[in-house]
Amino acid sequence: MSSFLRASYTIAAKDLRSEMRTKEAFNASFAFSLVILVLFSFAFDPSSEELQTISGGLLWMVFSFAGALVLNRSFARELQNDCLDALISSPAPTSAIFFGKTLANFLLLMIVEIAALAVFAVLYDTHFSKQFWPVVLVMLLGTWGMTVIGTMFSALTVNLRMREMMLPTLVYPLLIPALMAAMTLTSDLMSGTPLGGDNMIWLRVLAGFDFIYTVLAVVFIDIVLVG
Amino acid sequence: MIDARNFMYMFYGFAAAFVILVVYVVSLALRERKLIHEIDRVRRMVEREK
Amino acid sequence: MTQTRDRILFLLAAVCAVLLTVNFYKIFLILPDEANQGAIYRIVYVHVPSIFTGFTGFFVALAASGAYLATGKLKYDAFAAAVTEVSLAFATIVLATGMIWGRIIWGIWWAWDARLTTMLVCWLIYAGYLMLRRAIDEPTQRAKLSAVVSIFGCVDILIVWKSIEWWRTQHPAPVLSIRDGGGMGPGMEAPIYWNWLAFMCLAAILVMVRTRQEQRSREIDSLRRMAHSY
Repeated sequence: MSSFLRASYTIAAKDLRSEMRTKEAFNASFAFSLVILVLFSFAFDPSSEELQTISGGLLWMVFSFAGALVLNRSFARELQNDCLDALISSPAPTSAIFFGKTLANFLLLMIVEIAALAVFAVLYDTHFSKQFWPVVLVMLLGTWGMTVIGTMFSALTVNLRMREMMLPTLVYPLLIPALMAAMTLTSDLMSGTPLGGDNMIWLRVLAGFDFIYTVLAVVFIDIVLVG
Repeated sequence: MIDARNFMYMFYGFAAAFVILVVYVVSLALRERKLIHEIDRVRRMVEREK
Repeated sequence: MTQTRDRILFLLAAVCAVLLTVNFYKIFLILPDEANQGAIYRIVYVHVPSIFTGFTGFFVALAASGAYLATGKLKYDAFAAAVTEVSLAFATIVLATGMIWGRIIWGIWWAWDARLTTMLVCWLIYAGYLMLRRAIDEPTQRAKLSAVVSIFGCVDILIVWKSIEWWRTQHPAPVLSIRDGGGMGPGMEAPIYWNWLAFMCLAAILVMVRTRQEQRSREIDSLRRMAHSY
């Protein structure tokens, strides 16, 4: 067990370190989120009622597009110099490789998302300070779901011809339940409704989604990577 | 009055379902023909190579 | 072998034709119009059986994908691909008839009710599955990766279905069914199930044809490789 965690940690650290050196994916996703948020702020009057209802949808759309930019590169960056083959033939179990990469992507995405959330709060003049921690909880759960599926399919599509097109095509439909849950929860939280009662269903859906897909991904990553 | 309009849409509905099925069956038939030609061609090619 | 197979195909086609003829006669000529919806409700006799057929298809595809991963025999993969493709056709029928029905009854082309949303997600996942298969040439890799996508997809569809149902039990919304509404008149419900049987026969025929095409196409690929190796 501890060797699994150690291997995951090593892989996660390697990915984060290499990303921090170039900051390619990070800059691209953050810039993209910024652009979308600014453009939308021109389209909508910040103080209006309708903004409250779409805020969740807008935020998670931004997060998922930013995520696509990060996740595409996740396994693709290992293709050069046969790094992927080297990783697979190393003594680290494939599930640890997957878990490490998922962790790295998750942390990277969370940083981008918190930054985007700050921009959103400023541009759209929202008041959700009472609900801040619930919003963060929803972001954590939703991002984990996005990252698990995204990293899994990044591994699946790594050797395919049209990788950049296949990844979003396969991932976005699968993310629909998680995105539905996250969007509804975030919209409610942004308009001040606390978690509980009606909302708990979506929170449970998110948690269940995360759990089920983490288990499935760890089980099937071997078949996908090694074949 | 309403019934007459609904009849029209009902036929649209059934027509849509029928068209989709027909399109699919036709695509299967076309693929079948293509496959049969391809198999003959490749078999002849294998014979030639021998 | 092919003779038995052809006999089965003919038998299925005959059963299907008989069922459909009897049913459509009943649907169009014998049953009265429904009180609230008028004539349009008869679309349910295509819409609901297609839903049942489509969902049965995805369970079968899931089983076939699992069978492939467990045994490694490519015939299960061919079967899974065929079933998914046929189910995609039926899912398209569900969406088209559902949209037309909804347009008349509620005045909107779409509603986020459990059935339609699940079918839409189902459609997107199946379409992605078929696109993935086109993108991979090597048969074993194609089989393995599509099996994984199939499993992930089926779990997802179940999650979508369940979560919207839970949500809708708290927030009742338009449901495309007159069964839940006021209850159907006597004799109105049976044709749905007979039609379902007919559609299943039809689906079985299409799947058998498609599976053989998939296997033939693999045979062609291996013959080609053999030819090139001489």
